[in-house]
Amino acid sequence: MNDKKNLFKNIRVIIFALILLGSIVAIHPSYTPGKGITTNLNFGLDLEGGSWLQIKLEGALAQVDVDSGKLISGIVEPAIGAPIEITSNNLDMGGSTSAGKSITFTTSAPVSVSQIESLELGTVSVDKLSDTKTQITISDTSKETMIVAYLSKALDAEVVIVPGAEKGIVYEIRTEVSEQQLEALLEKVGGSIHKNQDGTSTYKEGVSSGTRDLTKEILSDKLNSLGLKDIPVRTVGEDYILIDFAGIDLATAKEIAEKPGKFEIRIQTTGNQTQHVLYGDSIVSVGIPSYHDGQYHTPFTLNEGGARALQKIALETGAIDNPDEHYLNMYLDEVQIYGAPLSPSAAERLRETPIYSWEASTGTDEAAKAEAEALQIHLRAGALPVNVVLVGSGHVDAGLGSQFKTASVVTGILSLFAVAAVVYFRYKRPEILVPMVGTSFSEVIMILGVASLIGWQLDLASIAGIIAAIGTGIDHLVIITDEVLYEGRLPPTKVFASRIGKAFTIIIGAAATTVIAMTPLVVMGFGTLKGFAITTIIGVFIGVAIARPVYGVVIKELLHVDERGNGGITE
Amino acid sequence: MSTGLTELLDNFVKNHDNRQLLALPLAVFAVSLIILLVSIINTGSPLNLGMEFQGGTQISVETTDSPAVLKEMYSSYPITDARQAGSRVIMQFDVMDNEEQQKLETDVTGHYSNVEIRQVGPIYGRDLQIQAMQALFISFIGMCIVVFLLFRTLIPSFTVMFSAFSDIVIAVAFMKVAGIELSLGTLAALLMLIGYSVDSDILLTNRVIKRRGMVEEKISRAMHTGITMTTTTLAALAVMYIVSTFSYLVIPSFTQITLLSQISIVLIAGLIADIMNTWLLNTAVLRWYVTKPEFRGRYNR
Repeated sequence: MNDKKNLFKNIRVIIFALILLGSIVAIHPSYTPGKGITTNLNFGLDLEGGSWLQIKLEGALAQVDVDSGKLISGIVEPAIGAPIEITSNNLDMGGSTSAGKSITFTTSAPVSVSQIESLELGTVSVDKLSDTKTQITISDTSKETMIVAYLSKALDAEVVIVPGAEKGIVYEIRTEVSEQQLEALLEKVGGSIHKNQDGTSTYKEGVSSGTRDLTKEILSDKLNSLGLKDIPVRTVGEDYILIDFAGIDLATAKEIAEKPGKFEIRIQTTGNQTQHVLYGDSIVSVGIPSYHDGQYHTPFTLNEGGARALQKIALETGAIDNPDEHYLNMYLDEVQIYGAPLSPSAAERLRETPIYSWEASTGTDEAAKAEAEALQIHLRAGALPVNVVLVGSGHVDAGLGSQFKTASVVTGILSLFAVAAVVYFRYKRPEILVPMVGTSFSEVIMILGVASLIGWQLDLASIAGIIAAIGTGIDHLVIITDEVLYEGRLPPTKVFASRIGKAFTIIIGAAATTVIAMTPLVVMGFGTLKGFAITTIIGVFIGVAIARPVYGVVIKELLHVDERGNGGITE
Repeated sequence: MSTGLTELLDNFVKNHDNRQLLALPLAVFAVSLIILLVSIINTGSPLNLGMEFQGGTQISVETTDSPAVLKEMYSSYPITDARQAGSRVIMQFDVMDNEEQQKLETDVTGHYSNVEIRQVGPIYGRDLQIQAMQALFISFIGMCIVVFLLFRTLIPSFTVMFSAFSDIVIAVAFMKVAGIELSLGTLAALLMLIGYSVDSDILLTNRVIKRRGMVEEKISRAMHTGITMTTTTLAALAVMYIVSTFSYLVIPSFTQITLLSQISIVLIAGLIADIMNTWLLNTAVLRWYVTKPEFRGRYNR
């Protein structure tokens, strides 16, 4: 009796009991007639049924050096079909702001303002000096703007400057381009890919983390807006995104993921009547929201067709003369997401020429900032900022999933029985067997408790991890038992403490190797195996820190009782 | 079972000198290396790479049709293999384009029930191959560092590392011979083996060099504990293997779980190799090391 009391005063035992109880509460098993046993545990797709898609984001990051003179030739000459001669150029002055920077050149071919403007380099002015000589000045421009324009034209892809890069300006090319291809393109304009100080290239396959997160958000937004609640979209490693579709078959999943949203701009005609202007396919690119002129803005660019359509309709409806009566409204999947009049200056310019680069302003406050960011996603209408390729997919029928679930539970329980049989055969003493199996079983409960607490999805691999944890757990309990009974009988308390200490040096060493061996799987991008590694590591930690010390205490008490009557262990 | 094995092994160790003990594990290690070398020469890789590492599509369906029938049925797709796995047939396809892939998936899901599809693109497969090699390498180095920190002596630490290395080489050679492909599951098993296999080596080395007592006695006691450890693990794995592989024969509603089946069989092979490497190879080296004249019996009293 006395011994039992001591046991429950031990702080380790109390902690153990509390955590075990906590785990059971977290798992929250309950039985509902008809529905069977339900718990708080989340199961992965391979146990629940459903499908998943894994996609890779294609792109490249690089820092580049160019000769601004050759660069402007490389951009302008193909556009006007004639050679140019640069007469003044201050683009190479320090700083990346475009204020006060300009480049002037002359050419023999006839050139119009809109021809140069469509290159999106800056503010253009054209002066006809003589019949055979035209002078063109591009101001409010910068070398960076030109590089972006050149690369995006040459690669037919969006090119952006990665915000917040510390060392130099990093360009993100949002399509697949090899280092050689990029190098060749730059060579044409007297440039090259910048080298790091240690001589390695700054070229890197992949996209910036900002772009990856944006892609993830657009996907989440799009999938969840389709009324499919809670489709988790996760980033895996640097360049991969994983989408889980619980309860949806693979064909449907692909259809959903590939179907872009329907984006439309309409213009108010009279009263509440609106007229179609353009669809999302006219939007070439969408920029990052910024704050200037006292408002938040989301920039976007229209293609030739879109810009002309907008100009034409603005003229026809009279929006140019009276912008406030003719709001431009944006719709995503028939739901209005934005509405604003043309700005007076834009209306004025539209009289003369189509406008390619637009900005949608949303206001001045925090809400406006959020709206600008939402608009950035909506404008893309489910079109992703980068090219993506499907690199993996999977599908498990719900029926098969539930078979897997039953089979793995049966496997776990039978494994525990097999272990118990071996332990009993070895020690032939129930007072060792019961705490050993009990400890092992509690470890499993605690692992599941942690899993349901952190919302971890248990998949087949995680279950293998739990079984592996049972395996190492029992190993360590055997070490403790044999260490405690080193001379075949229970030692005095003082010796007992040092024995437990010795056992734990071995156990901690062994546990450390297991954790170290599993760490690469957690850190690296393996989707499936992450679960295996994490459950094994959680299991090892719970075992070493919580469960196994208690086993030491319990076994001492139990054997102590026995020691008075029937000493020693028979071998 | 464990007690019988322990007695047998214990007597064997006591009655043979270090050289004799080394013979078997080194021979098995050498044979395994040869198997892997031959494979590298013939195929360029020590293991057959599974679909996950090569790219392609694997579809498994529940059916009573024979693999041959299915192979014929889907012959318009790049089907490379169809095999029986319990009540299921697993079909293997080469890399296809998106349209063809989708057509196949609709086709199969329309025809059969309890379908499982896994598809991996060749780019991702190549990425995975590199990551797999890195993971194995980092795990092994990490394990070596922990072992060295534990013992801080060259020969005992190195012996533990070598014995773990040999476990993995033997397990990989076993996979090659038994025709088990390197999949994500078997990779996990190999990594697990790195963690598992050193447990008994750590126990042995710790007991022998950090404990007072006669060397023979310490080895024999460590063996009792160590073999119990490994056999309990083996028992759990054997059950896992049997249930995940054969349970459908007894209970028709069950199905083969390839992932668990593969993980368990590779671990079983590795742990059997571990019994040999720990209690023959590691023991022999350790026994030779601690009875070296220069220690003047420091470890033997």
